[in-house]
Amino acid sequence: MSTAAPCRLERAGDKQVLHLVGDWRLPHLARLDGALAALPRLGPAVSLDGKALAELDTAAALLLVLTLRDAGLDPATALLDGFAANHARVLELVRARLAEIGVVSPPPPRGWLAHIGHAAEQVWRLVVGHVNFLGLAVAAAGATLARPRTLRLKELTVQLEAVCLNAIPVVALVTALIGVVFAYLLGMQASQYGANIFVVDGVAIGMTRELAPLLVAIIMAGRSGAAFTAQLGTMKLTEEIDAIRTLGLSPVAVLVLPRVFALMIAMPLLTFVGDVASIAGAMLVAGPMLDIPPPVYLDRLHTALALRHVIVGLAKAPVFALFIAVIGCRMGMDVSRDTRAIGASTTSTVVQCIVAVILLNAAFAVTLQQLGW
Amino acid sequence: MVSPSAPAATRAAPSGAVVHNGAVLEVAGVVTRFGKTTIHDGVSFTVGRGEILAIIGGSGTGKSVLLREIIGLLRPTAGAIRLLGTDVWAASAAELTAVRTRFGMMFQDGALFSSLTVAENVATPLAEHAAVPPRLLEPLVRLRIAMAGLPPDAGAKMPSELSGGMRKRAAIARALALEPEVLFLDEPTSGLDPITARAFDGLLRVLCDDLGLTVVVVTHDLDTLLGIVDRVIVLARGKVLTDGPVRAVMALDDPWVQSYFSVRRMINDEGEVTNGV
Repeated sequence: MSTAAPCRLERAGDKQVLHLVGDWRLPHLARLDGALAALPRLGPAVSLDGKALAELDTAAALLLVLTLRDAGLDPATALLDGFAANHARVLELVRARLAEIGVVSPPPPRGWLAHIGHAAEQVWRLVVGHVNFLGLAVAAAGATLARPRTLRLKELTVQLEAVCLNAIPVVALVTALIGVVFAYLLGMQASQYGANIFVVDGVAIGMTRELAPLLVAIIMAGRSGAAFTAQLGTMKLTEEIDAIRTLGLSPVAVLVLPRVFALMIAMPLLTFVGDVASIAGAMLVAGPMLDIPPPVYLDRLHTALALRHVIVGLAKAPVFALFIAVIGCRMGMDVSRDTRAIGASTTSTVVQCIVAVILLNAAFAVTLQQLGW
Repeated sequence: MVSPSAPAATRAAPSGAVVHNGAVLEVAGVVTRFGKTTIHDGVSFTVGRGEILAIIGGSGTGKSVLLREIIGLLRPTAGAIRLLGTDVWAASAAELTAVRTRFGMMFQDGALFSSLTVAENVATPLAEHAAVPPRLLEPLVRLRIAMAGLPPDAGAKMPSELSGGMRKRAAIARALALEPEVLFLDEPTSGLDPITARAFDGLLRVLCDDLGLTVVVVTHDLDTLLGIVDRVIVLARGKVLTDGPVRAVMALDDPWVQSYFSVRRMINDEGEVTNGV
């Protein structure tokens, strides 16, 4: 491409002629813009000369049209001289759309107060939606339990395998390691008073009553709650949920209930796995570190661990499960038709589930304390 | 240069309208296998500058696969593809990037970036690959949006807020952003209402005639085929069944081609449904 100036302004009497030269295309837009800006002010009677114009694309044509408009000229009436037919048509293509590319004012930015209000309203809507969905799920569960034959056993077993059976290794591993850490930490303190044996009390009661249900719930929130949202969200996106409805079936009965029931059955079982694994993990380090051999450990466990602690832990699990499953399913059923929404909803599910579980756990702790359990 | 000599591709003699000089795209003996399934078994053709070429064929004949191979997304099992003078599957990453700024691709479902607004979607290639003065970026984006036939307020919307047809037009706006030399379109008018579809056809014709744009389109829209397409390639049984102007292809004595075009013949120019069979 020539290094000559892409445009020059010539004066012919009281008229101006803008000569366009060479390659007017997108890659050279910055240079073209600079050349046009360097021109003296365009008068009202300027005509364009395109005899030396080699190429003109829509981007360069836009630059030309905007330059004319900014100079206070009407691009529609600008005189074209010597333009090739195709260049004139490109110019016309851009000119015809000039009205549509006028500035659209963006919505004004929100103030901080409006931000807080907006966020609060969204949280409120979310909670109301969850309560609504919980009611829907409970009503559907009632209807199903009244007629147990309508329960979808196949889907329930599939879900049980996914949320319970397949989760056993990770639950056992995590709780066993926490048991090890817990025994180690308690042992360091207890050994200062020569009260090594009370480590067994601490581990057994702490794990079965509080930590195992909580840990399992957190693992389930990340594992199953997120999976429910992603599964149902994808089904929503591919209109599968609409298809279920169109076939005269209830998405709550077909999709939500099996998941809720599966998780409510799975969580106490997994919590029990957690109880056993954490106590076993603690026993593993109690021998070499705290001089508590396994027989002594088990004997102490027998006297120290009252059954009610285990029962409290196991009783909390299905309640956590209900909330995790309902939040997970509701967030999935509620995604907007947008692939990005699934990721956002899944993240939100995990956060909401963990917050819900910790709030519930606190409520349990206070209530049971008052009841003297 | 790879000579486009297909070993077994049967070609109907095109009736003169085909321009072969200054080939923009050469597909030579492309073979594609997925496991034991052979999709393409020696597909060869050439596309000249300023042509609008349509690729048609029944479901599963590998039209979209071929498109993905041409634009460098899927490696063919054998064969060579030369796009804008670069051998797509022998080029370095830098060469491929250079070629990629010179063509536009519109995916079947739009493939808009869902985290960006329509305007940001269109601005992405401009911001990445073109030295556009900042003051011109916004008008240029709006011009692209208007050219694709979208209303001005569509620019601020997220892709999820658009209807299927609007999403398609937004994808076209993004594909046109860099003034591409070649435009690949996968089913551009499916899901569009006939009026919008014809307006889009008209836009393509203007771009081809006035900007020298070359268009390769996979389409089933018979109106597009008859209205604006210079040449049609029919893919069948892994080969190029025929390659020529629409009228020549329509006259071809092949059961699939005949039944394909007979749908059209049932509706004559007066709009009356006639049984053309």
